[in-house]
Order: sequence, then C-alpha cells, then structure tokens
Amino acid sequence: MLLAIDTSAGTSVAVVDRDAGVLAEINEADTRRHAEVIGTMISTALREAGVAVADLSGVAVGMGPGPFTGLRVGIAAARAFAWGAGKPVVPVVSHDAVAFGATEPLLVVTDARRREVYWSAYSGTDEQGLPVRVSGPGLAPPDALGEVVPGYDGYRRFDAAEVSAASLGLVAELLYLHRRPFAGSEALYLRSPDVTLSSGPKRVS
Amino acid sequence: MAFELRNATPADVDAIMQLESSTFGTDAWSPAVMAADVASTNTYYLVAADSADPGRVVGYAGLLAPRGGMDADIQTIAVAPVTRRRGLGRMLMVALIAEARSRGARSVFLEVRADNPGARELYDSLGFEQIAVRPKYYQPDGVDAHIMKLAVARGQTHGASATQEPLVLGIETSCDETGIGIVRGTTLLANVISSSMEEHARYGGVVPEVAARAHLEALTPALSAALAEAGITLDELDAIAVTSGPGLSGALMVGVAAAKALSISIDKPLYAVNHLVGHVGADVLRDDGTEIELPTIALLVSGGHTSLLLVRDLVSDVELLGETIDDAAGEAFDKVARLLGLPYPGGPHIDRVAIGGDPASIRFPRGLTHPKDAEKHRYDFSFSGLKTAVARWVEQHRDAGEEIPIADVAASFREAVADVLLTKAIAACRDLEVPRLLLGGGVVANARIRELAAERTSAAGIELRVPPLALCTDNGAMIAALGAQLVRAGNAPSGLDFGADSTLPVTTIQA
Repeated sequence: MLLAIDTSAGTSVAVVDRDAGVLAEINEADTRRHAEVIGTMISTALREAGVAVADLSGVAVGMGPGPFTGLRVGIAAARAFAWGAGKPVVPVVSHDAVAFGATEPLLVVTDARRREVYWSAYSGTDEQGLPVRVSGPGLAPPDALGEVVPGYDGYRRFDAAEVSAASLGLVAELLYLHRRPFAGSEALYLRSPDVTLSSGPKRVS
Repeated sequence: MAFELRNATPADVDAIMQLESSTFGTDAWSPAVMAADVASTNTYYLVAADSADPGRVVGYAGLLAPRGGMDADIQTIAVAPVTRRRGLGRMLMVALIAEARSRGARSVFLEVRADNPGARELYDSLGFEQIAVRPKYYQPDGVDAHIMKLAVARGQTHGASATQEPLVLGIETSCDETGIGIVRGTTLLANVISSSMEEHARYGGVVPEVAARAHLEALTPALSAALAEAGITLDELDAIAVTSGPGLSGALMVGVAAAKALSISIDKPLYAVNHLVGHVGADVLRDDGTEIELPTIALLVSGGHTSLLLVRDLVSDVELLGETIDDAAGEAFDKVARLLGLPYPGGPHIDRVAIGGDPASIRFPRGLTHPKDAEKHRYDFSFSGLKTAVARWVEQHRDAGEEIPIADVAASFREAVADVLLTKAIAACRDLEVPRLLLGGGVVANARIRELAAERTSAAGIELRVPPLALCTDNGAMIAALGAQLVRAGNAPSGLDFGADSTLPVTTIQA
C-alpha cells in the first residue's frame, strides 16, 4: 500500500494498493497553492482510505518534469513523510502516470510555463502493464515538438493539465512488484536556475 | 503576585463558593452541587493560591472529563478580581486542557456568556472556536451562551506535562540555510545547518532558485543529523515548528511542505512561526543562565532583513517599529564588497580588509537620519543610497587614476552602517523608555557592529544582549525555541492550511 503524491501540475494525493486498487484520491487543479493544500490533502486521503501510516509500505512521488516551485512541494512532502514514517520513497516520472494504461503510441505534453512544454513519448504498455517511455522527458517550445520528438507523427498527442497521483501510485506498485528500477532521485526540473553571471558592477556616475 | 495550582479538595469548597457567588451572582451553583462535582472522579478541579499566602484561594477551575471519553467540558473557571490580567485564567485553562488531553479527550467544550468579552478573548487565544449559540441561556438576564470547542492534539499524553519542558523540532528554510534544530524548552539539543552559500558565491548574492533546490536535497539528511545530535527519537517529540515567513517564497515552501508531511506521518502538532520573531527567540537558548527581560528593543540585521522591533512578549506581543525601505544591511555589505572586488558574502571580507583602515576618513551618508526623516522614518533604514555613494566615490578616484584605499573605504562604509543601525536602535530604546537592546541576524557576526553596540549601549545605560553567534545566523534551533515557547504558553497548533508567506508581518508570531 502506497501514499502517492504528485505536484508537477496541480496537486494530487492518493492512497493505492496493488490488490485493492485506488483507495482514495484527491485533486486540486490550482497550480499556485501546492504548499497550502498539501498537508490537508495527505491527511484527508489517509482518512478517506482508512489507512494508518504504519500500514503503508512506502511513498510514491512524481519527480516531474514540472515547474520548479510546485514540483518541489510534493517531493519535499514525500521525503519528509517517508523519513518520519521510516518508509522508502518511490520516485516515478510524472509523465508515466499520464501514460499509464495507454495502448497506442502517446506523446504526453505538459505545461512548463515561459512558453515551453515538457514532453515524453510512449510506444504503449508492456506485458506487466507499465507504460514504455521511448524518449523524453524533454523540454521544448510548443512549435518545435515536431523537430525534437523522434518520430513525432507516429504519436497521438495528449496535453495533460493534471497528473493523477492514483495512476502514479499504481505505476509505482507495478515497478515494486516486478522489481523494475524506479526513477532517479533527482527532481526533473530540466531547466537551470534562472540566473546569469554578472559581468561586474555597473557604473553609477 | 505569583500563583500556585493544586488539586481541589472538599476542604476548598467553601473558598470556591465565595468566589463562585461573587463572580457569577445569579448563575452561581449551589454549595451541594459544587461539593459533589469537586469530589467526582470524572472531574478535575484545581484551585490557585497566592504563593505568598498559600491559604488564600484566588482562583479555581473545573473540568469534566470521564476517562476514555472523547469529549471534555470546562465546567467552571473564576479568578479573584485582584488577580485579573495576570495570566492566572490562562494558567488554569492550560492545566485543564493538559489534563483533558492526558485523559484521552479529543475535544474540549465550554460555554461563555455573550457579554463577557474578556473571557472570550482568552478562549479565542487558546484556540477555541465558536460552534453554536444557545439563545437566552443565562437567566434571568436573558443573555446568550456561546458554545466553543477546542480540538485537542493527540500524542501529547506524555512529554508536554507541566513538569517537563516541551521537546520541539524546528525547520528553517527561509533563505539559503537549511536549518534543523531540536530544543527542550530553553535547552539546545541540536542545531544542524546546511548552507548553500558557496553555490551563491559566484553570483554575488543569494539566488532564490538555487537556494530552494539546495533545501530540497539537504532536508532529510539534516533531519537525520539533528535527531542523532540530540540523541532523541521521533516519538519523544511534543511538536514541530516551521518558519512560514517572511523569506523567499520558493525556499519557504520546501520547509512548509516537509513540516506538514512530517507532522502527519509522526502524528505531532505543527506550529508555523515567524522567522524574525525566531531570531529574538534564539536568545532563550543562551546557556549563561540569564533570562531575557521584557519588554526589549530588538535589532535584527541580516542579508534579507533590517528590522527594529519592540518585543513585549515573545509569544503574543511583538511590534514592528521600523525596517529597511530598500536594501537590507547584509545586501549592502555584499554589494560594496563586489565593487571593491571582494568575494561573497561581503560582511566577513569587508571586516577583514577594514583592519587598519580609518573609519573617519570618508564621511559616507547615513540614510534616513536627516531631521526631515525623523517624523515618517524615525526607525526605518535605507542602505541603497549608501551603496551608491560608495560606488560613486570609488569611481571618481579610479577615474582620476588614483589607487583606491580599500581599507579606508571598507572601514568608513562599515562605520556608516554600524552608526545608523545603532543610532536608530538607541533612539528607540530612549523614546520608548526600554533600556534593553537585543541583537540578532547574521550581520551581528560583524565585529564592528557588536563593538559599536557595546560602546553605545554602555554609554546610554542600556543593557545589551547578543545571542550566541551560532544562533544569530538563520537556524532551526531558534524556530524550535519559539515553537517551545508557544507550546508552553498553551497556544493551539497551526493546523495544516497555512501557506508560505514571504511578507509575513512580524505581528503574526504564529501563523
């Protein structure tokens, strides 16, 4: 049984079980309130699922890609929750949750702000039920996707405004079950911090 | 007047009835009802006596809380008129709430007369919320009763008892230090700081996104290190405290999100606290046995803040007298260091090169000290003009082909900052007749500022307090210390709905 958290788009929190499926899921689409809502959403999801912290086997978290500030809220919450509970963190690429269950080639596209999008390309679902990511995640201007995504024309494009923590949790359960590698532990910002080195002090006179 | 609380016995009923009749008049209970209630095992009655005259009962309070029940009721509370406004009512309420908690209650209820604003204020401040009105409940006066309820935090059946100081973990991520501290009351147990300062050095100042990324990576390692340093386990904690502002939004959110999630996973109450008041709170952790005397003026100077506060009470009464209207003092140090070709952070490097310099050689401007500013900006600061003045001075001398006397420029600049900080702080002490000054914030590490503070306060007959330097820079221990003060004062936890507030006003001590 996993607590699952994703804040790569809005805020989504779920409790899932490999056998029983989705026990609870709560979504908040607002992309500017992650830090405000995360606590109450975790607490409500656990209560609705009727699950105690001790019953969880880990915390699944969406590592992005996603805009920095919001993305970090989910990862910080997942890490701190897992640390307190003495359970492992299961990192998952957020786009994998969107592609979960897709049967045809799919290009997942999410908003990266500043007139860019995040993308990942999937060929379909493998025999274990996991989405097969063949390229990405990447970052591109929307009108450049055709150039940067290999075999762009072969995919159905899906622009996702939300990422479901329930789907993310189910992906994590399958990774767990089939001993498949999790995502890396680094947040997928895909952008450097917005800063430029100064060329030296400016004159004032 | 000091008070002592003890359990009420049947022998106290007469004294209780005297207070009961004089306080409640037509609403007073009969002596028989009172005697039965005091004797019941389902209740908990306390009487308060004057420490100087232990036979004299000056207040009492009763709780109905059957063991194993989910609900508890405040039955009655009264204090003698001579003791009012001295916190006795709060002391009694806090003791009853603690007892309700230890008996396993999850909610405490009470009724208060609609025409008793004093009592209402106390209950509000303890976290009670009005849930219903009973019209014309108090007869014959026909006054409404307001029903109020307090949700009691779980997990405090041990630890936060009256005899044991609260054990609190503090999380601070408002700028570039990831700070985790653990305190028991006013005793420091752990202070782990992971700084991203080196990553900012090449940019000449804190880059918010770089700081926030560093917090995310440093957080759980710092938590583990703090727990090991304090030699405690998570179950022993009584509460978690976190900085919810002011500071850099993206950085604050890492700490806020982590603190909320941790509070749920280990089932401990969470207190969202003010970073600036935390700097003042650091002083309670000094280990020289002296206690902070209030009220005090506090001067907080860091890379992000330059504020002058009047602190009357650490948990309930802090007033902002003034603050910088442009750059913080620490920022001015960084900027002047850069134009002198010195590395970041500027403070220590300016200090280093100022040795041997003449602080009186160049008269740099003192912002907002002109008589015309005395009215509107008496306690405000401005360092932007000073920075520009230094830049202009350096440019003029460079343009003239002269060698820049770095030691003199650094010493004169530093003197201007120290002078304006202390001039305004001492003016506040004098104007408000508060002969105490507390320093806090990372810039206090600057030797000349501490030196000038010592000189000026001593000349003015003002007591100077500087918390240990390790606790002056941003840290989690000060946040834990303020959290422990809030727990001890009986404040209700902050819940889970607060956000990161980059401009949290200093008057909001707990969010």
